[in-house]
Amino acid sequence: MLSSKRQALFALTLFGLLLPLLGTAQSLAGRVVDAANGTPLIGASVIWLGTSQATSTDANGHFTLAPAPAGETAVLISYIGYKPDTVQVQGRPHIVVQLRSITSIQEVTITGKQDRYSAMTPTNSQIITAKDLTKSACCNLAESFETNASVEVSTSDAVSGAKQIQMLGLDGAYTLMTTDNVPALRGLATPYRLNYLSGTYIDAIDIIKGTGSVLNGYESISGQVNVRLKDPEKTDRLHVNLYGNSLAKWDANVNTSFTLTPKLSTVLMLHTDQLTNRVDNNNDGFLDLPLGKHYNVFNKWKYNTGKQWVAEIGVQALRETRIGGQVGYRSGMPQEEGSFYGTESETDRFSGFSKTSYTFKNKPYQSIGLILSGARHDFDSHYGSRTYNGYQNSGLANLIFQSAFGNTAHTYKTGLSYQYEDFQENLAGQRLKRQERVPGAFFEYIYQNSTNLTLVGGVRADHHNLYGWVYTPRFNVKYDFNPNSILRLAAGKGFRVANPIAENVASLISNRAFYFQNNLQPEKAWNMGGSFTQYFEVGERKGAFITDYYYTTFQNQIVPDMYSSPYQVAFTNLNGRSFSKSFQAELQYELTSMLDVKAAYKYFDVRTTYNGELLRRPFIPNHRAFLNLGFATPFDKWRADLTGQWFGKRPVPSMEHDMNEHESSNMMRTVSPYAVFNGQITRAFKRWEVYVGGENLLDYKQKNPIISADRPFSQDFDASMVWAPVIGRVIYAGMRFTLK
Amino acid sequence: MKTLKIWLFSLVLTGLATVGFAQGGKKGEEVKIKTSAVCGMCKATLEKGLAYEKGVNKATLDVESKILTVSYNGEKTSLDKIKKAVNELGYDADNSPAAPRAYDRLDACCKKDAVH
Repeated sequence: MLSSKRQALFALTLFGLLLPLLGTAQSLAGRVVDAANGTPLIGASVIWLGTSQATSTDANGHFTLAPAPAGETAVLISYIGYKPDTVQVQGRPHIVVQLRSITSIQEVTITGKQDRYSAMTPTNSQIITAKDLTKSACCNLAESFETNASVEVSTSDAVSGAKQIQMLGLDGAYTLMTTDNVPALRGLATPYRLNYLSGTYIDAIDIIKGTGSVLNGYESISGQVNVRLKDPEKTDRLHVNLYGNSLAKWDANVNTSFTLTPKLSTVLMLHTDQLTNRVDNNNDGFLDLPLGKHYNVFNKWKYNTGKQWVAEIGVQALRETRIGGQVGYRSGMPQEEGSFYGTESETDRFSGFSKTSYTFKNKPYQSIGLILSGARHDFDSHYGSRTYNGYQNSGLANLIFQSAFGNTAHTYKTGLSYQYEDFQENLAGQRLKRQERVPGAFFEYIYQNSTNLTLVGGVRADHHNLYGWVYTPRFNVKYDFNPNSILRLAAGKGFRVANPIAENVASLISNRAFYFQNNLQPEKAWNMGGSFTQYFEVGERKGAFITDYYYTTFQNQIVPDMYSSPYQVAFTNLNGRSFSKSFQAELQYELTSMLDVKAAYKYFDVRTTYNGELLRRPFIPNHRAFLNLGFATPFDKWRADLTGQWFGKRPVPSMEHDMNEHESSNMMRTVSPYAVFNGQITRAFKRWEVYVGGENLLDYKQKNPIISADRPFSQDFDASMVWAPVIGRVIYAGMRFTLK
Repeated sequence: MKTLKIWLFSLVLTGLATVGFAQGGKKGEEVKIKTSAVCGMCKATLEKGLAYEKGVNKATLDVESKILTVSYNGEKTSLDKIKKAVNELGYDADNSPAAPRAYDRLDACCKKDAVH
């Protein structure tokens, strides 16, 4: 670190001294390789930017370029079928340039499919591409992860239909969710947040394991899920998607985009989904999923001068109502013995963001950006006789300046942020209020040597009005043994203020009493780990093998304890240890030109101290396996996908109400493994696509997911003990129409 | 289990259908069109785009010469329609110019004035 700083200073001084000489004294040598597999590119052209002085690479990808005629400091490297790249070479006698093969935004490549595991990023990142998104019934964000092995989506309970994501065996709340790299859908939006973005709004999704960067705040602990929304400049003029399934749930989506002037473009995205059909296929007297109506509007504007300024503005409004519970329940029925049990929720959310960036003239590596975002989230709900209402107002400002020390081997990003949160929750008469005002500053330094090493060190300091100073260091290292073997290491800290009720909505659908320890503290954790990626080619077909291991250890955590008593859930500060060890091995291979295979094995060891006893976290299986077969004929006229997920044994809280039989007050039982299969077939025409598919094809259902379903107002009633699908097989069909 | 069988069956059927399609190239006409394509990505765009045109059996672009060779069924489509399809993908076809909007939306490296 020190030496590189000294180097940087030295380079800076040297650079200053040599400035007049630079252009004339420096010839440039280097190598051009394929970013995906490191093979040399033969005959790539290298040209001093803005001149006609050029050369091309030899059979090993090497080139030597005579000194620039007029002191130019940038070269343009281009090659047929690859994205051209401009490289600043000030003070660098030798460069290695990785060109990315063209993987079009419109997904028009035949052979060069987009790497789902990026070879470029310093963090362990994966991409779910627009094409992957069409592989499953992609009506909202929850289904987007269906064909991805790193993120799990589970149903939180048997009544509300809420879905949660999990990474590294940790709850979705520990994953930072961003849209277009702006933190979004946090706090009280957590329970149903995966429904708030329609699949048709999404261009691609980045999944980053580990704490990631300090730029987006201190909250990520297990990872980051960044949703890239449709780009007004690039998206289709019109896109319509209609979907219906065997439960009589239907979805309609319309996107339309306009280019108003060459610099100004906008996209308007509409989504609705409706279910008015009462489904009780497991005959427990409860709706398997709630009735609901959802209306969602997203409008995004982009102003791109093509030169220095780029600005984006996005606004979203949504309204969602849900009614669940017993089949006979109708809105407004009294919640007492003798009546029908019901749950209702109504959510109104309005949010907006803006991003403005200015890139300095003739310094493509130096820019300043301002991100502003705000949201108002308002909800009213009741779960049986328990009312739960609240609102959250959030505001965030983030100013980021990015530049380089002397040359682009040493770049940095620094800036200031301010976060405002105003929470108010009312649970059955208990009021919880919180206001957060958090100014902060961050600095991230990135060192990239010209060949195979990237170091990222970041730190942020925030002053929280309730909890004082919060320091968040984060480090990432990427080392390429060779272009096909990449090692990444990461370590970092995360900090977040928990919202115990919103993060445990499932427990509301029981008659457990909610008990909060006084003086709940913020959650803090260290996450350390790494990944090793090996790209390979067997018989001219490309593949990748990725293993990763992450260890997360909590210094404090808000622990929901359902073990000690079946009649309450107690939220306490961690008293002891809480950790997650997660291992994943994944293989991706193109079996034939038409068949892609993805297989993964995952091992989780997640434990927490409950009442002085270190126990396995409930509902989390030790072993999981994942298999995805993707079939496509030339030009994707036919596509078929089959995804299977297998879950090993898992512990769940025991519902034995007879405490005396047990030595320990912590009661557990184990439930058996199961597998779930989803599949879909798509036929594409020039502008139309028709698809038909099925979820949970083997019709595996948890028997009696609701405890004491026949006595919902008794103490024993509990719908939160869910570990397997509640809904059986669902067959769906739909169509897409696109005008490019 | 039954479902699984049905799925496998349909996968097999799909496979068969594809083979059927691939061999269904009728004896048709062939035309060579000079385009403004510049790179491998253009090749992909053009070949895929034309694959979805009615009556087109096969389209191959030679990047070096920019010549697109299209074999088609003259009863189902015409040379004008094929050229129009090329224009709508953002490329010139002989003397008919690319549709401006489609050209604007091409990737930077696919534009005919891109440096290569």
